[in-house]
Amino acid sequence: MTKLRSNFDTLVNALSPELFRFALGLCHNPDQAEDLVQETFMRGWRSRADLRDAKAARAWLYTILRNEHARLYERQRPDVRDPHELPEIAVRGYDTSTEAFVTRRALARLDADYRDPLLLQVIGGFSCREIGEMLDLKTNTVLTRLFRARKALRDQLSEPAQQEARP
Amino acid sequence: MNCLEFRRRLLADPLATDDQLHGHEGTCPTCANFARDARAQEIQLRNMLKQTKPPPGLADRIQLAARFEQRSLLQRRGWYAVAASMLVAISISMLSLWNTAIERRDLALTQSVLHHIDDEAHHLREAHAIPAARVDWVFRRFGARLAEDIGRVNFAAECLMRHKNGVHLVMPGKMGPITVFFMPGEMTDKALEIESARFHGKIVPTDWGSVAVIGEQGEPLQGLGQRLAAAVSWPAHGSAESVALRRGGGSDVDLAVGVGVGVFAGVGVAQQKNG
Repeated sequence: MTKLRSNFDTLVNALSPELFRFALGLCHNPDQAEDLVQETFMRGWRSRADLRDAKAARAWLYTILRNEHARLYERQRPDVRDPHELPEIAVRGYDTSTEAFVTRRALARLDADYRDPLLLQVIGGFSCREIGEMLDLKTNTVLTRLFRARKALRDQLSEPAQQEARP
Repeated sequence: MNCLEFRRRLLADPLATDDQLHGHEGTCPTCANFARDARAQEIQLRNMLKQTKPPPGLADRIQLAARFEQRSLLQRRGWYAVAASMLVAISISMLSLWNTAIERRDLALTQSVLHHIDDEAHHLREAHAIPAARVDWVFRRFGARLAEDIGRVNFAAECLMRHKNGVHLVMPGKMGPITVFFMPGEMTDKALEIESARFHGKIVPTDWGSVAVIGEQGEPLQGLGQRLAAAVSWPAHGSAESVALRRGGGSDVDLAVGVGVGVFAGVGVAQQKNG
């Protein structure tokens, strides 16, 4: 039990920051993100005997968090079509620059099918094959979705002036 | 690799180190510019996301919650164990009480039999055999009949046992008189041993009540209760009493005040020996 607890504590210390970022990228709300991370780790704790392989545990926790988000918050996702409706979030270390704001807004506008693989790659550092396994997609599909996600981001970021000029 | 393929692969992972990508980039200035721009944007994206810090104490809260849940689980298990133990204890107590109640019931029955003998000890001195017809007559008062000869009988009467009337017989034995009680309605689950300083015997269960056979210490009584029970054809439980009570006011029934103690009845109806 002590060994399992020690392993679990190590996982929490190592992975809670990146899982929080991933959660925040999914829901854009720090409180919900914290709840998601906590619930994800509690599920991990209940299955701690299966978390001996740290690498597998990491992918498993990301998958759990994504599923939890879909279960709890996907239907409540705020409509962020209008940049002025982006939720005000205050998170420690949060980049408050205009560029960061625009990037976050562009991310929030991405469809979940494109956003999730992108966040798994950028925050989790997973390969296309690993992302495919986590999302139950073929590797080529993941490649296509990543391409489209970044293309959509570029399209949005390349015309900030037009968007800012909107009434 | 053409420009379209280059851009598709680059945007799938701008920071990938791929020789084919670098090869095309080296030969196509437009794609090289596109790649620089895409990598700068990627780095900006990653920096923005990685600058975000989790709330202070998040890891501690998660670890605390996990410990709390574990403790709750252990406590629940502890309570389950306590509840299970209590259930077992209560079951044992109930069983014990049940057994005690049965034992007390059986003890009361055996004591009532001994008290009955003591209270009517004068019947033990009956030394003369009574006619078989007289014995048969006593049984017929209960709707019962003797299916076979039960041997010599010195005393036969209808007596109040504990709650209902039954047949009281005294028969000669090797060590002294043997008392036999046919006790309708006195149901018992098993054969009961009777022991006192002077007497020993057994109460044998039947489907209509029980038969008690008591002799002096040393009297061989093996199987006697079963033989006597088998020798009498007794009516179904309940009908014997009605027959006896209907006859209760008959001219040849004497009412007498008994001297029973304890659980023994205070009033006895004794049929005196014929003659």
